Amino acid sequence: MKTKIWKELRKTLAFSYKNIIMTKRNFFTIFEMLFWPLISLFSIGLMGAYLDITENKFAFIMIGAISLSVIQLAQLDVTYVLLFDVWSKSLKYTFATPASFYHMIIGSWFVGILRGLVAFLALSLFSIFIFGFDMGRLPLLELSVFLLGLFFAAMLIGMAACILMLVFGRRAEIAAWTLTAIIMLICGIYYPVSVLPETARLVALLIPVTHFLEYFRSFYGFAPSFPNPLLIGFAQSFVYFLIFILLSEWSLKRARKNGMIMKLSE
Amino acid sequence: MELLKYSINLLQKVEAVVCEDVWMSYKSFFGGRKLALKGVSLRIEEGEIFGILGPNAAGKTTLISILSTLLIPDQGKVRVLGMDAFKEVKRVRERINISSGLNLPWSLSVYECLKFFSLAYGVSNSKVEELIEDFELSEFRDIEFEELSTGNKQKLSLAKTFINDPELVFLDEPTTGLDPDVARKVRKKISQIHKERNLTIVLTTHYMAEAEQLCDRIVFLNKGRIIAEGTQKELKEIIGAKDIIKVELASKPSESILEKIGTAKNIHAFDVKDNKLLLYVDDSEKRMKEVLEILRPNWDEIKRVSMEEATLEDVFLELAKRG
Repeated sequence: MKTKIWKELRKTLAFSYKNIIMTKRNFFTIFEMLFWPLISLFSIGLMGAYLDITENKFAFIMIGAISLSVIQLAQLDVTYVLLFDVWSKSLKYTFATPASFYHMIIGSWFVGILRGLVAFLALSLFSIFIFGFDMGRLPLLELSVFLLGLFFAAMLIGMAACILMLVFGRRAEIAAWTLTAIIMLICGIYYPVSVLPETARLVALLIPVTHFLEYFRSFYGFAPSFPNPLLIGFAQSFVYFLIFILLSEWSLKRARKNGMIMKLSE
Repeated sequence: MELLKYSINLLQKVEAVVCEDVWMSYKSFFGGRKLALKGVSLRIEEGEIFGILGPNAAGKTTLISILSTLLIPDQGKVRVLGMDAFKEVKRVRERINISSGLNLPWSLSVYECLKFFSLAYGVSNSKVEELIEDFELSEFRDIEFEELSTGNKQKLSLAKTFINDPELVFLDEPTTGLDPDVARKVRKKISQIHKERNLTIVLTTHYMAEAEQLCDRIVFLNKGRIIAEGTQKELKEIIGAKDIIKVELASKPSESILEKIGTAKNIHAFDVKDNKLLLYVDDSEKRMKEVLEILRPNWDEIKRVSMEEATLEDVFLELAKRG
């Protein structure tokens, strides 16, 4: 039993190990961890200052900006677990190992959490010093639960991007950089979901990030759509996780049947 | 009792791979389906080096990918080390490994690459240093994959193949693109590992000489079909030709000569390449007189006559011609 657990852990750590080295070796990964998030936060912060909005509304948009960067970064790591292999044309070797899709996802997600935390700290410090907005002023538990929710959301988006790549091949690579932006657009990144058209609002309520954002913003005086946003967010995340695990099994089997794994290794 | 079991095992031929009536097709660019394998069946015994030979696009890589669980065919059964290759995928993968093409994660050094795969296979790191030493990669330990020479990439790819102490390995064209000296070293290494570990090796190649040097048994694959299977000796016997008599003429052989050759009892097959006549016979020394007798009317035309042992390439070309 102990050996089995140890083996499972090693298989998971394999993908953390690979992602850490790839991140360390490739300059663009450092750039996307600090440069773009800071640029984005700076421009949003300046816009908020120019519009001279209330302190709470300023907090509202800054939370959106920081959350977007954190989710995008953590999600990219999950997607990179497949993308690095596709770019190296070595995907078939990874899929020839006894490691499962969930080992890949969870292993790379650990690195995503690490990178997301680094970005979160950098953005929080930046927003305190430049704009006087302190996202970390909430109690540690509430903040940790909120971040955990964001990281779960990132994992789900990363899984979705990987599944899309296994189904549609290289054409779906773009999903790695667009899915988070599209989802955040619907989840009320800089605005409450109540301003969205009815259909979009309904879709937003089916996305966990909406509820995590509403939970966090409730500390700044914005009432959530449902009384228990945190519970709804985590419950939705859990259900989607199960669905995506099933979908990943299906997409992998399909990729073995139609030769997509081989095509992505050429 | 143990002795009895051991004796039974020795008597039984244990099969590492059993593949029955495998069909595989891919979606073609124009929407239809292109058949890559057409009813392939084969059995590979434990401990042998089994060669899958054929020209480009014969279906070799598709077949090896199916056997190594990377592809699921449209139809057919595959058992690997006694397990169902489609239902017991994880268990199969723990006991096999594959080297196919020179692509490994690009930013990882030799050491990191082997460490990644040792983790992914859930085995201990101790194998990493051993393989680096074993495959003479110590000098390049910290060099990233994309900066390695083609020969060292191949060595690393082979080293990776042994990270989980597999019982069965698939080597897809292990010497393609290598210069002759490196290719020779790689072949030597494969042979050495096979002897040391007594594992089963399934090898695809389009170099017939490589198969002659390494393989115990061989299948010829052409256009998705197995056209012949056996040991080198058996394959040569299929076309009834162990030897070739090569006759070089001053001009292209005339129709009358070809007709006589075609009807000669002891010439099993023949081929014409420009001014050269290749005659496949069972024993060149025995049949020389008969051949010269046929060529007597064209005596002045003969520039040179030589005898050679038939190679696998000759056998393959003849079989491919027969379809």
